Amino acid sequence: MNKKIISFSTVIVLLVLIIIYSANTGSIKVSFVELIQGLITGNNEQVQVIKDLRLPRLVIALFAGAALSVSGVLLQAVMKNPLADPGIIGVTSGAGFVSILMVSLFPTLFFYMPLFSFIGGAFAFYLVYTFSWKAGLNPLRMILVGVAINAVFTGLSQVFNFRGSYTVTSVNPVTTSTLFMKNWNDVEVMVVYGSIGLVLAFLLYSWCNYLGLEDKTAKNLGININRIRFIVSVVAVLLASIATAIAGMFAFIGLLIPHIGRLLVGNDHKLLIPFSALTGAMLTLTADTLGRVIIAPNEIPASILLAVIGGPFLIYLLRKSDRIYGY
Amino acid sequence: MDIKDITFSYDRKINRLDRVNGEIKKGEITTIIGPNGCGKSTLLGVMSNNYLPQRGKIVLDGKEMVKYKPKELARKLAVVHQQNVAPADMTVERLTSYGRLPYKKMFSTLTTQDEEAIEWALKSTNLQGKRQATIDTLSGGEKQRVWIAMTLAQSTEFLFLDEPTTYLDIYYQYEILALIKRLNRKHGLSIVMVLHDINQAIQYSDTIIVMKDGDIVAKGKPEEVITKKLLYDIYGIHVIVKNDEQTGLYIVPVGI
Repeated sequence: MNKKIISFSTVIVLLVLIIIYSANTGSIKVSFVELIQGLITGNNEQVQVIKDLRLPRLVIALFAGAALSVSGVLLQAVMKNPLADPGIIGVTSGAGFVSILMVSLFPTLFFYMPLFSFIGGAFAFYLVYTFSWKAGLNPLRMILVGVAINAVFTGLSQVFNFRGSYTVTSVNPVTTSTLFMKNWNDVEVMVVYGSIGLVLAFLLYSWCNYLGLEDKTAKNLGININRIRFIVSVVAVLLASIATAIAGMFAFIGLLIPHIGRLLVGNDHKLLIPFSALTGAMLTLTADTLGRVIIAPNEIPASILLAVIGGPFLIYLLRKSDRIYGY
Repeated sequence: MDIKDITFSYDRKINRLDRVNGEIKKGEITTIIGPNGCGKSTLLGVMSNNYLPQRGKIVLDGKEMVKYKPKELARKLAVVHQQNVAPADMTVERLTSYGRLPYKKMFSTLTTQDEEAIEWALKSTNLQGKRQATIDTLSGGEKQRVWIAMTLAQSTEFLFLDEPTTYLDIYYQYEILALIKRLNRKHGLSIVMVLHDINQAIQYSDTIIVMKDGDIVAKGKPEEVITKKLLYDIYGIHVIVKNDEQTGLYIVPVGI
């Protein structure tokens, strides 16, 4: 029990610290007190610049990280597979591709991008699920099908990026994960849909726990397992695709964070979902902030840093514990 | 419970059950035996609504099984499957409490009645001292008892068990069988189980159902059903059937 409380407290403290550090760090420096004062009164020009440029990406990093991590938790529950992750099984690349496609064809529909993203993510997930279903879900087959679907959508997106040469990059922000140039409109979309998805995920924690039982066992307890699986999947796809639409593609975080969560707070989704949301938010913002700072004035995309920091950390945790998914 | 003209096939080519008829009497321990692939687990699956038969129907308390709502059925009939998984860090008490799901709505908390049922389930399976233990720390016999505890918390009339003694050593096998007998005699649960060990079936059953090639070939009290000829017909083994006062009826296989 103590380990869980310590884990939660540590993550919350780190989250607060990184938010303060991130808001203060960059080419314009103001103290935290000045920042708060400036935000309230609105008559500090430097603070206005921070408000327009730095705070949107801060908020988006937090929500995108939380959304992708929780999406990973939900997908792992639905697919009974510790390797399920919205990036690996093609949900994010499907979301990314359909958004680019629609925005390229109908640039005026830019504001519906989250919707297109959701459709793309749901379509990719549907394909993976259908093709890997053969009298039950075989974890290995599912991952292989997912990798294939992911490759197809990634390839299709590359077509748009390339188009004869790599110089045409007007749609690039969708496919890469830099959080550069985000505005308050993006924040609004991310926060609204992200919050809806996260709240739904919290409410569904007991369903996620039932998914840990064998289908037969659940059925004999009177649980409608297919309905549960469908609804949890929809929430997972919503979270992953909204994050992709606004923040671009973050591979890996949906895999990394749930595993850290399982090792630290266990498999009970009542704790795992909120813990993953907090940790995902904290880690993504950390990566984005470091990415801004390390080679300033240039940037390293957050997704690259996440992969570089997260990979070794995951291996370290797995080496320390032989309990991966709890089975 | 009536089994009426059940035909079931996994692939719609080979019938695993072919027009099976039968009846399960309430208040008894009924054991299904038969060689591998004879359809005994399949029949148990059809009787517990896990498989939908292509033809025929199961009637439970005068109502067709398929007409029951999932939760309504789960309040009448509980199943312990041969293989079970649960997250390794789940506690015994928590898993047992899942047995109350058929009585709960989505966000409702446990009532006193739920807690009493869980308490009774833990007590009956002798797991009271282990309630906070996690699943991965339990022995094979204890694990099987937790799954039985979960089904007991369902407070059903019928308890189905698919090979409950497989994978257990002989002590735990008899511990589970004794528990099943106690549940039947003391608490009146109607038990239907699949067993491999013929002597255990003889010892613990009121009625034995013998299956071969997707059909029921014999049914009745152990003393009536288990004969040298039947066992040779079913399993292709020669046995000696003995009956003495000290041990009751038993068989000894002597070769093929």
